[in-house]
Amino acid sequence: MSASITAPARSAGRLVFAAFVLLALLVWPLLVENVFYQRVGALVMLAALSASAWNLVGGYAGQISIGHVLFFGCGAYASLLGFTWFEWPPIMGAPFGIALSLLLAVLVGLPTLRLKGHYFSMATIALAELARIIVVNSPSLGGGVGISGPAIPRSMADLSFISPLPYYYIFGAVLAVLLLFTWWMGRARMGFYLRAIRGQERAARSLGVPAQRYKLYALLVSAGFTSLAGSLYAAMVGFVDPDSGLGILLSVKMVIVSALGGAGTLFGPLVGAAILVPLEEFTNAAFGGDGTGITYVVYGAIIMLISRYAPGGLAEILARLKAWGARHAR
Amino acid sequence: MILGQVVLNGFLVGAVYALFSSGLTLIWGMMNVVNFAHGDFVMIAMYVAFVVFTALHLGPAVFVPLAAVLLFLLGVLVYFSLVRHVMRGPMLAQILGTFGLALVLRYATLWVFSANFVSLPDNLLGPVVTVAGLRLEPSRVVAGLAALTLTIGLHLLLTRTALGSRLLAVAEDRNAAMLVGIRPDPMQALAWGIGAACTGVAGALIALFFYISPTVGESLALIAFVVVCLGGFGSVPGALVAGLLIGVIESLSAFWIGPANKDVVVFILFLAVLWFRPQGLLGKA
Amino acid sequence: MTIGRRPLLAAPALLLAGRAFAQGAAQGTPIKVGSLMPLTGVAASAGNSAKAALELAVELINTPQPDLAAMPLMATAGFPAIGGRPLQLVMADQQGNPSVAQNQALRLITQERVVALTGAYQSGLTLTASAIAERHGIPFVNGESVATNLTERGFQWFFRTTPIGPDIAAIYMEFLQQVRVGGRPVAKIAIVNENTEYGTSIADVIRRTAEGRGVSIALQIPYAANSADVSAQVLQLKEAQPDVVIFISYTSDAILYARTMRAQGYRPPVLIGDNSGFSDDSFVQSAGDIAQGLINRSAFDASRPGSNAFKINALYKTRTGREMDDTTARIMQGFLVACDAINRAGSTQPAAIQAALRATDLKPEQLIMGYRGVKFDAKGQNINASVLLVQLRGRDYVSVYPADTATAQLELPYKGWE
Repeated sequence: MSASITAPARSAGRLVFAAFVLLALLVWPLLVENVFYQRVGALVMLAALSASAWNLVGGYAGQISIGHVLFFGCGAYASLLGFTWFEWPPIMGAPFGIALSLLLAVLVGLPTLRLKGHYFSMATIALAELARIIVVNSPSLGGGVGISGPAIPRSMADLSFISPLPYYYIFGAVLAVLLLFTWWMGRARMGFYLRAIRGQERAARSLGVPAQRYKLYALLVSAGFTSLAGSLYAAMVGFVDPDSGLGILLSVKMVIVSALGGAGTLFGPLVGAAILVPLEEFTNAAFGGDGTGITYVVYGAIIMLISRYAPGGLAEILARLKAWGARHAR
Repeated sequence: MILGQVVLNGFLVGAVYALFSSGLTLIWGMMNVVNFAHGDFVMIAMYVAFVVFTALHLGPAVFVPLAAVLLFLLGVLVYFSLVRHVMRGPMLAQILGTFGLALVLRYATLWVFSANFVSLPDNLLGPVVTVAGLRLEPSRVVAGLAALTLTIGLHLLLTRTALGSRLLAVAEDRNAAMLVGIRPDPMQALAWGIGAACTGVAGALIALFFYISPTVGESLALIAFVVVCLGGFGSVPGALVAGLLIGVIESLSAFWIGPANKDVVVFILFLAVLWFRPQGLLGKA
Repeated sequence: MTIGRRPLLAAPALLLAGRAFAQGAAQGTPIKVGSLMPLTGVAASAGNSAKAALELAVELINTPQPDLAAMPLMATAGFPAIGGRPLQLVMADQQGNPSVAQNQALRLITQERVVALTGAYQSGLTLTASAIAERHGIPFVNGESVATNLTERGFQWFFRTTPIGPDIAAIYMEFLQQVRVGGRPVAKIAIVNENTEYGTSIADVIRRTAEGRGVSIALQIPYAANSADVSAQVLQLKEAQPDVVIFISYTSDAILYARTMRAQGYRPPVLIGDNSGFSDDSFVQSAGDIAQGLINRSAFDASRPGSNAFKINALYKTRTGREMDDTTARIMQGFLVACDAINRAGSTQPAAIQAALRATDLKPEQLIMGYRGVKFDAKGQNINASVLLVQLRGRDYVSVYPADTATAQLELPYKGWE
């Protein structure tokens, strides 16, 4: 690279690169015959979707929620309850899950978004745990046993496919919509406000940023998409119980995926998911059968190493590489 | 009479919660570093007690101090190898790093000790005694006293000693502390060592009456986080008060409205406290 | 189908087989059977016990075991009807997560090319994993999950050998009826159950069965299995003074209950601990001494010398140093039934194995479990599954009910720590 590259050329290069990545994302599952890899691909998209949704609140606005599973659970349960009660195709429950999530986001957001730092995180954990315990104790919601979707697919609308490919593209499409919104938001006023709030909330307020209101907006969008992710998950797996739909580990996973890739960046959660999910699945495939727990020793150690050498997530490494490249270009 | 026993049991469980949280109070509550591996530190201490007892046939007089020393070393090691670097990044990096650490500790233990549940013999500290019609397990009473001692000790350390002021200065503002000539790294490392040593004492004592398995810390960790937060950041006595409060409320609500719902009451109370006192029970505003 | 595609792998296997043959070991390309178990997470202890049992099963099938000749596949090496090819177990960790269970089922089917699947321990995970097997047309044999709905889904590839909720509830009720005839009050029954899938479903079915027979459950206390303290429940029982207490618990809480009951000085006249936690050898070692006279549900009676169960338990004990518990034995039985069907199918074609499973008709002497046999109905449920009750004496369970299979006399009331 030489310093003579002009700005338009650089942005054209970027476009070509982006188009290439997009094409690769669209085409690779068709080239891979291995169904297990295709399924891992679908799970990457799903994890990227829920982490990107979390990223709006946790990354851009800097409000570390560890209770986002609340919204995920709304979506998952709405899907399968729609089937259990009315024999709907699971995905028909999604709008209801989203509506419930938005309502909860307002109810939950108004009191908790006042809280600072760790207090906010702990309040979100408490709310999600409350929801989990209430579901466990409600036989009409499946209680501790959980609820399942259609055992045998009745029509296409049940979204019950033998191949993981349709899931990959459905999850990917929703993710694309979310990323487009995030990209737009990053350049719109809302993005500036959220970043200001993340940096110095008190200063932002004194400059007239309506902090509460914009944090709530971010939470609403985030809750809606997280809920949709939950509905899609439920349609694919066909079963949800309090642990898999409302367990605290799911909230933590959203945080981990975003933090690993780079919270508050557009593609951070996708990058995080693209690394973490295959890592999880492949360590499990390689070592899980031993029963020695080595799966998690390897998985945990890699997470630890990444946080040790790139505390800002992989986005930080990219930025460092870029800076290094720029220095050497001159 | 039964109700008296319920309240007493609540206090004793609350003391266990306070004991369980004591290390977290220092590391998270005072030094402001999230430690997702806290429960697993306690679990390691429980295994120290188990190994010392089964392999060397030595009692609590040996394994409690030994657990404290070993965990102190683990804490310092974790600080220098992981936490120090992670602290350069945002708070999320702490979650990421200590989450990874938790998995490594938990499953390395599973690797070594297998997933089977083990326990120390019942009544290692003597049989149940009856005082005024109330039944008391010596091991739980000892745990309660230890929680009280550790809390007072930590509180005095932080408020009455020069070392304490230095620790707090570093936690407050690393750079400013450096300007007045305090080297932050040894201070932070010491805080991690002391915090981990507290969890060592806690784990070794809890092992006297609890089952031991690689995943035991995972199930107890959440309550420790609630205890520290409810007590309020920046307050050591807050965690003791919060622990006891949660213990008694859990015990009463389990007795009256059923054990499946006891945590509903606890979490609602927790959220209500945050609503009225966003800085926790005894935290600084 | 796997052999044809891998001639290169077969060649060295044949070379090796010459040497193995001299020792009577199985020869040829291994036939793979998959098993999904919780090898990490809170249920890891159960999953790892099962893993040890399945590995033992593979060893027994692949080498001649004249001592166990009454059981299918034991007298010979490998699968005699499929050219003596050996059995290979492919374990996978489902991590206690319904989605991971599906991922691993998919991996075992499409990558490892297993001819049958077994597992997946928790009913919810069995449900999701077997849905994958159903879509891919691979037989799934379950030996341990008790949720009734698993065999109500109209699946063609799902088979289950274990007794389920209604069988379990029925034997408790019959047993209590006999205790009542013996002159001991059993009118006031309390159920204490952990509130996830296992505890809830068993408690519900016991309640329904009891009510169907005109017996009401006086008190039901659901609780969260991971709680740090169970003394409130024990005090509730102490105050209510029921005649019979039925605990439905996992290992961790079972240990806590036994200890807390001693600490609070509470002993009900009849104490039943339903299987899971109370069967775990960890419970017996940790708290067995203070839970003397505990009555447990089991279908695995290793107390009769000369029985298959006795021999298998002895082998398992040399291998692991632990007693085989009922859950582990049921998992092993499911696996053995799958292997027997593969052999009778005489082929690794899924459809042939499915047909063989449907034609399964094993007799009690061919099993390790105390079932009346294994024979599947149209839904895939074993109609000859049965349950027996055992009582804790010292650190062993002895069978006490029903009378025709009992090896010891029932002793009441519950002794606990005395």
